[in-house]
Amino acid sequence: MRVKALKIPCSGWKGVILMSNIMLKEIKLSASPLAFFFIPFGFMVFLPGYPILCGAFFVTLGIFQSFQTAREANDIVFSALLPVAKKDVVKGKYIFVCLIEICSVILMMIGTAVRMTALADSPVYRENALMNANLFALGMAFVIFGLFNLIFVGGFFKTAYKIGRPYVIYIIVAFIVIGLAETLHHIPGLEALNAFGTDHIGLQVVLLISGMLIFVLLTLLAYNRACNDFEKIDL
Amino acid sequence: MSIAEVRGLTKKYPAFTLDDVSFSIDGGKITGFIGRNGAGKTTTIKSMLNLIHPDGGEIRYFGMPLTGNEKEIKKRTGYSTGTVNWYPRKKIRDIVNIVRRFYDTWDDDSYRKYLELFSLDETKAPSELSEGMKVKFNLLIALSHRAEVLILDEPTSGLDPFSRNELLDIFTGLKNEGVAVFFSTHIISDIEKCADDIVYISKGKIVSASSKEAFMEQHSHEGESLEDTMLRMERGDFDE
Repeated sequence: MRVKALKIPCSGWKGVILMSNIMLKEIKLSASPLAFFFIPFGFMVFLPGYPILCGAFFVTLGIFQSFQTAREANDIVFSALLPVAKKDVVKGKYIFVCLIEICSVILMMIGTAVRMTALADSPVYRENALMNANLFALGMAFVIFGLFNLIFVGGFFKTAYKIGRPYVIYIIVAFIVIGLAETLHHIPGLEALNAFGTDHIGLQVVLLISGMLIFVLLTLLAYNRACNDFEKIDL
Repeated sequence: MSIAEVRGLTKKYPAFTLDDVSFSIDGGKITGFIGRNGAGKTTTIKSMLNLIHPDGGEIRYFGMPLTGNEKEIKKRTGYSTGTVNWYPRKKIRDIVNIVRRFYDTWDDDSYRKYLELFSLDETKAPSELSEGMKVKFNLLIALSHRAEVLILDEPTSGLDPFSRNELLDIFTGLKNEGVAVFFSTHIISDIEKCADDIVYISKGKIVSASSKEAFMEQHSHEGESLEDTMLRMERGDFDE
């Protein structure tokens, strides 16, 4: 029922200009360079014998650093004092976070495409107890980002100050999800999750789309809640 | 004409209550908001800037409630929150280059004029500025977008006497252009020098909101200065 109440943020032409100004502020004033530094960690999909979803986790670590830098610079109060509605401040943060996540996912997609084609039969990846780079892994990366947007970014807007607690909760949840994703394909009957190349491609596509949908739903849910929370708190 | 109105503003904290605060700010006038430390000045100003969520009451600008019209209202309002450090490691020029984009009414000539008047160096970062210069940086932004009303929290605190005098003269100039200037202070001589109206707050309640002359007439004893009157009133010795 809650999903029904979700509002999808959309803007007219004026809204687009306003949001591009907020994005410039986010990138030039609020962001920590670490948020951008961790984007190429999307290429960690090439690391053999390493938990593939940790790449997504590192990207969120960079964004977390960015929130810390912004907090030290009084960014939220500064933004709330600009001639924008409070929900635009929230929207700006979410768009910035999603932008970083999507940049990184694009790199993961490129890496995964290479591993699913040119490197599909590479022994270094074949003989690996950990998760393979495939569309299921990409879908799970979207889930990790969706959880970050819900737990950390949403948790931050409950106070617009406290970042430690929501980040610790996110870390715990993220590593449980990473652990589950790494384990599932070892359960008899679920081997198709660890498909190589274009094996089980129908199932793999469905898993990727499911991951994307979970990302969108968690982010919209978090954004709507954050707008309400941010409106109520004192800065 | 009343440009901004605060009606029945109430905010409860565990150890402090802002209680039924009401006053109005007129265009072409300087209103001094005076009270001792902890009297409720900053809480009131933060409510007027929509930074805190009051428990009751209403704030209106240009006849519109702040709630629901904050974008339009903030474009026509200038603010300064004292010595708060925004983006301490970024250059002033870089901060201003972002801020100016949010205002259709940004006035580069005014910006250059006040930059020179305040002797601010655009290539410096806020962390390199003294407390007084930080106040000036905040004021620089507030004064550069043709605001119709200025809401300023302790703009004269930390300024040297020369800069304070200059700033009060700027307020008078803006008033003559029809701008409503509302500034909080605990320095009574600032009010004495340039304010037309006085809003006096004590322990979260408005004691008086009137013209300076009406205030003196109602509260001052024979031969008493505004400072003497206020000090006496703060001691609880009211003379209605």
